[in-house]
Formats: sequence, C-alpha cells, structure tokens
Amino acid sequence: MHELSIAHNIIEIAISECKKAGYSKINSISIRIGRASGVMTDALLFAFDIAKKDSIAENAVLKYEETPVKGRCRECGTDSTVDDTIFVCCPSCGSYQFELLSGRELDIIEIDVE
Amino acid sequence: MKIKVVSRVLEANERIAEENRKLLKDKGVFVLNLMSAPGAGKTSLLIKTIELLKSRVAIGVIEGDITGTEDAERIGALRVPVVQINTGGACHLDANMINTVLQELPLDQIRLLFIENVGNLVCPAEFNVGEDMKVMILSVTEGEDKPLKYPLMFQESQVLLINKIDLLPYLDIDIERLVKNSLKVNPQLKIFTVSCKSGEGLSQWTDFLLSKINPV
Repeated sequence: MHELSIAHNIIEIAISECKKAGYSKINSISIRIGRASGVMTDALLFAFDIAKKDSIAENAVLKYEETPVKGRCRECGTDSTVDDTIFVCCPSCGSYQFELLSGRELDIIEIDVE
Repeated sequence: MKIKVVSRVLEANERIAEENRKLLKDKGVFVLNLMSAPGAGKTSLLIKTIELLKSRVAIGVIEGDITGTEDAERIGALRVPVVQINTGGACHLDANMINTVLQELPLDQIRLLFIENVGNLVCPAEFNVGEDMKVMILSVTEGEDKPLKYPLMFQESQVLLINKIDLLPYLDIDIERLVKNSLKVNPQLKIFTVSCKSGEGLSQWTDFLLSKINPV
C-alpha cells in the first residue's frame, strides 16, 4: 500500500550513494525483497517509474531478487522455509512461535552508475 | 561502474524513529502509538482516556489523518495540547512526520504522549515512529478472525484493546475465540476488553497506563 514512499526511499538512497562516489547518472538499482516484507513487487516497479522522473535516476532500471521466507520454530526447533508470506507459522508443528530468519528484508544491494 | 550499497530501504525511518525516541525519553515522555482500522474507536478511546487521566498526568496528542481536523478539534476541546498531521494520502504515519511536529508540543510539560495513527489495519504496523509502546484497538464488530487475517499489527503491538463490548448482546462474535486468536499470533499481547460508550473496563486500562508511566 505504501510502495510509492518505498520507491522514493530507494531512489533517495541510490542518488546519495551515487553522488558520494562522484558519479552523476544511475543506470540500475538492485534490491532484495523478502517475500514476507509486505511489498508488492508489481506495485513497487510501477511506483519506481513514477518516482524516478526528473532525477539522475530517470533512466534507471529497478532489478530485484526475492528472498524466501525462512525461520526457526521456538517450540519444536525445526528450521523451515515456508510458502505463506503473510501468516507465518511452523510447517512442522503448526506453532506460531516461528522466528523469522529471513524473508522480511527490503535492501538495496548494488547500484550501477556512470 | 557498479557500487555495492547494502542499505536497508527503511533505515532512514528507523534512524529518525530512534532520534524521536531519544528526544522523548530525555524529556521524560512516555509515548504510545495507537493503531486500528478506521472506526474501531481510536479517538473515542483517547477522549475517554484523557477524561480519566488528565487530572493525574499531563497528556499531549498527535493526531494522524489523511485529511481533516475533526479529531484534533475533538481532542482540543478537552484542553490538552494537540497537533494534527494530515498525511495527504499516505496510509500511515512515519517517523519523519512525527519528528517535524514534536517541537509544536510543550514536551517539557507532557508526561504521556498519544500518537493516533491513520486508520488502517495494515501499514501503520510496519513503521516505527519512536514510540515506547504500540497499542491496537479492535472493535467487536470487526470479527474474531482479524488476528488471523491481519496478523502483523497484532504481532507488533504490546497491547490490544477490544472495544465496543457493550454491543456484544447484539452480535454473533465469539469473544473468547477473538482473544485466543490474538494470543495465537502474539502470546505476549496484553489484552483489555473495554467499552468507550459504557466505560466498562476503562479503569483497568488507565491503571495499566499509570503503572507504565510511574513504574513501582
């Protein structure tokens, strides 16, 4: 629901990193989206194209990789990867005491600049 | 030319939330982030809470809405300092919005600050604003399945207020199941059942708040 403000954040961080390194144009931004981050990839890509206008990232492509939802059950101790991205519980014993180890990240990993 | 970045996109919000938290802690202000779906009774709960507590503790309020000042006017009528934030479409408050209005409140005098988030059962749970405690309200008309359908807010909150219990005789909701479902997604959740209309359960809630501000 708030993909536009996330897109603005991504572009802001990328522009600041680009300038810091002494470059003036961003060709691409690579991000990692956890499947349980709550971010809808399609909506983010759409918002990104709006948010990048009139900036040094206006021709930038947003590249993304999705990370699976992994966790460890506090009750039975099993490590698992789960398919459900919203309501996460242990697939072995059904407990909701399931500590997420990955799957909620939203990180910029690399930018391509010139 | 490729540059490795490795930066959390929401890091900026976390940083500002931490700034807010530090500033408010230094001033000795206890901060609650009040979240719920639209119409669950955030403003009514605030009004009742203020009425019950204002002679005992200095209260301030930040009102978040997409547009309008109705809520701030209702709160202002109780003669407590209030600031309205209009998000202009955004579905949640973020740390920066709070940061920009903090100076408008007499923080040296306030001990208890309520931040009433935008009515929304999803997004507000994802943004820390610098609060000490996240409190969510669910009204009994919303149904016992909500913790299972919108788990994040239940998981992020420390307190759940189940509101409008005066309506229970007219509804089919199974409140025990609602409590069970809530504890299933967050076993640490502290739950109060209240009615802002009849006043039932509110003193337990305000006693709890006082114990948080003045720990024994």
